[in-house]
Amino acid sequence: MDVAPIDIASRLDDEHRPVFEGMPRPQRDWSDIPGTRARMAEMRASLPQPVLPANVAIEDRMVPGPAGDPDVRLRLYRPEGLPQPAGAFYWIHGGGMVMGNVEMSDPYCANIADKLNVLVASVEYRLAPEDPFPAPLEDCYAGLKWLWRSREEFGLDAGRIAVGGGSAGGGLAAGVALAARDRGEIELCYQLLVYPMLDDRNATRSSHAVQDSRTWNREANDAGWNAYLAGNAGGEDVSPYAAPARATDLAGLPPAYINVGDLDLFVDEDVAYARALADAGVPVELHVYPGAYHGSNGAVPTSVLSRRWAADELASLGRALAG
Amino acid sequence: MDVTPIDIASRLDDEHLPVFEAIPPLFGDWSDIPALRASLDGLLGAMPQPELPEGVTIEDRFAPGPGGDPDVMVRLYRPASLPDSAPAFYWIHGGGMVLGDVAGSDVYCGRVADEMNVLVASVEYRLAPEHPFPAPLEDCYAGLKWLWESREELGIDPSRVAVGGGSAGGGLAAGVALAARDRGEVPLCFQLLVYPMLDDRNITRSSHAITDARTWNREANLAGWDAYLAGNAGGDDVSPYAAPARATDLSGLPSAYINVGDLDLFVDEDVAYARALADAGVPVELHVYPGAYHGSSGSTPNASLSQRWNADERDALRRALVG
Repeated sequence: MDVAPIDIASRLDDEHRPVFEGMPRPQRDWSDIPGTRARMAEMRASLPQPVLPANVAIEDRMVPGPAGDPDVRLRLYRPEGLPQPAGAFYWIHGGGMVMGNVEMSDPYCANIADKLNVLVASVEYRLAPEDPFPAPLEDCYAGLKWLWRSREEFGLDAGRIAVGGGSAGGGLAAGVALAARDRGEIELCYQLLVYPMLDDRNATRSSHAVQDSRTWNREANDAGWNAYLAGNAGGEDVSPYAAPARATDLAGLPPAYINVGDLDLFVDEDVAYARALADAGVPVELHVYPGAYHGSNGAVPTSVLSRRWAADELASLGRALAG
Repeated sequence: MDVTPIDIASRLDDEHLPVFEAIPPLFGDWSDIPALRASLDGLLGAMPQPELPEGVTIEDRFAPGPGGDPDVMVRLYRPASLPDSAPAFYWIHGGGMVLGDVAGSDVYCGRVADEMNVLVASVEYRLAPEHPFPAPLEDCYAGLKWLWESREELGIDPSRVAVGGGSAGGGLAAGVALAARDRGEVPLCFQLLVYPMLDDRNITRSSHAITDARTWNREANLAGWDAYLAGNAGGDDVSPYAAPARATDLSGLPSAYINVGDLDLFVDEDVAYARALADAGVPVELHVYPGAYHGSSGSTPNASLSQRWNADERDALRRALVG
C-alpha cells in the first residue's frame, strides 16, 4: 500500500507537541525484546511513583492457570466500603503482547476502583515471544474465569462484570469476550476497548501511515504480532481469539466502547471493528479523537484532550457498571 | 447488496422504544413532496413548541441570492449580551433536501446563541425538487458569504466563523465548507456535521439496512437525492459540492465534529467521511452512539442518551467557537 507517513508532530496541539518532540527515538530494539523490556522498566522506575488512593486495598492472588500451565497472578483493587452486590472490572494491560505488567496499571485500576466503587482485577499474563498465542489469551481467560467463579466470595453482581484493556490489552479483552461467548462459561456486560490491537494483517491505511518510532508504529506492530503469533502474523489460519478483526461472527458479544486517536496506527482497524460489531447487532459506542496518538492520553495525562478522553472513558465504564 | 434490514425497535432502550413505536410512518408518498410537506407541517404544528430562551432576539435579514437568483433569508439569533467581536455559527436545517425551514431550528439556534453567547445565523434555502442542486447549496453559500461580508456590521470575530447542519443540512454544511475552501472567500474555523447526508449513491451497508418508515429510510433517501439531483442520484458526474462523499480532495478543510447513531442510515457514509477527512489531515472528532436512530436526539430529547448526545455536541461546538 502506497501511503504517505503521517507527520504526527504537525497534528498535535500545543500541550502534546513538546512532550512528543521530547521523546527519545528510537525507543525500542525489536530484535531484543528482553532488552527493550528492561530499558522500559528502567525508564519507568526513574519516573516519580504515583500515589494511589488510600482507600483502595491492593491484594495479589494466584489463581489456577490454563490446563497444565502455571498459576496466574491477579491483582485486586478493592475500595473501602465496596457495596454488595458490586460490579467488577477485569483489566488487561497493554504492551504489544511482549511487554508490560500489572504494576504499570496500578494508578489506572485503583482510580477506577475508587471512582466507580467497584472491584477491579488486573491480570499478569505471560508475554510473547517466550509465550506466544494462546498462552497470553488463555492466561487472561483463566483469570477472568476465576473471578467469575469467585463472585460469591466478593459479592459480585453477575450482571455487572465487564472486561477491558488498552492496546494489546484491548485486543486481548476483545479476544476474551469472544472466548467467553463461545465457551458459555462467563457472562460479560461490557467490553472497554481502548485503542485495541486487533488485526495481525497490518493491511489498513493507518497501519502503514504511522511510522514514527516515538509512538507504537508499523515496525513495532509487525514485531509484536510476529512475536505473539510465532512468526505467523498475516498468515491464513490465525485464530479470531488472537486477532479479533478476523472474527466472522460478532453476534451476541457484550456492548462495547471503543476510543482511539486519529493519529493511532490502530484507528482503521478499531473503527472497522466498531462498525462490524454494530452490524452484528452489538451496541457499540465509538469515539475517535483528533490529535491523539497511541498512548498520548497516558503520555500527557493533564492535557485538555487527555482529560476529556479519560472522563469520557470513565463515564462510559461507569454507565456500564452502574447498579 | 444483500443486507438484512435492521430491526430498530429491538435495539432501542426503554426511553426510546415507546416513542419510536408510537411514530406513524412518516414518509408515505414520495411522488407528491408538496403534500408530504403539508402533512408534516400539520404533524409538527400539533406538537407542543418549546420556548425560545429569553433574551435572544431574532431578526430576519436578506442576503443577495446567488448569481441573479432571489435574495436569501438569513435569520439571526442574537443573545442579549453578545460580546464585541463575537464568534458566529451558521446553521443549515435538515429535511432531506426537500423539507424543513428555519422556523424548525428556532429553538436549537436560540439555545446555542444563549448558552454560548455567540451570534447564530440560520439560512432559508430553496428546496428540491422545485429547486434542485445547485440552488440549495448556492443559497446556503450566499447566506454564509453575506454573513462573512457583514462581519464588521455584525461584530463577528473573523477567526471564529463555523458552519453546521443536521441531516441534509449537515451535507449542505460539508458542501459549503468545500465551496468556501475552493473559492477562497470565507475562512471557516469548524464544521459541525450532525448525521450528515453526504452520499447520493446509496451503496453503503447501512443505506440498505435502514428500511423502517418511522425514521429516515432508504426510500426517503433515494427520493431526497433524486429530487436534489433532478433524477441523477448515483450518476457519473455528481458534484462533490452536492455529495461531499464524492470529493477526492479533502485537504485544507476546517476541523470537524461528526456525530451519528448506529441505527442511522447515514452511519456508514458518515464514518467513511470522518476517516477520509482525517486521512487528508483534517482534525475530525467522530462519535458514534449505540441505540440512536436518525433524529432520535430530537424526538426523545429527555432520554439520557439524547442528553449526552446534545451535551457532547454542544461541548464540541463550544470548544470550536469559544475555546
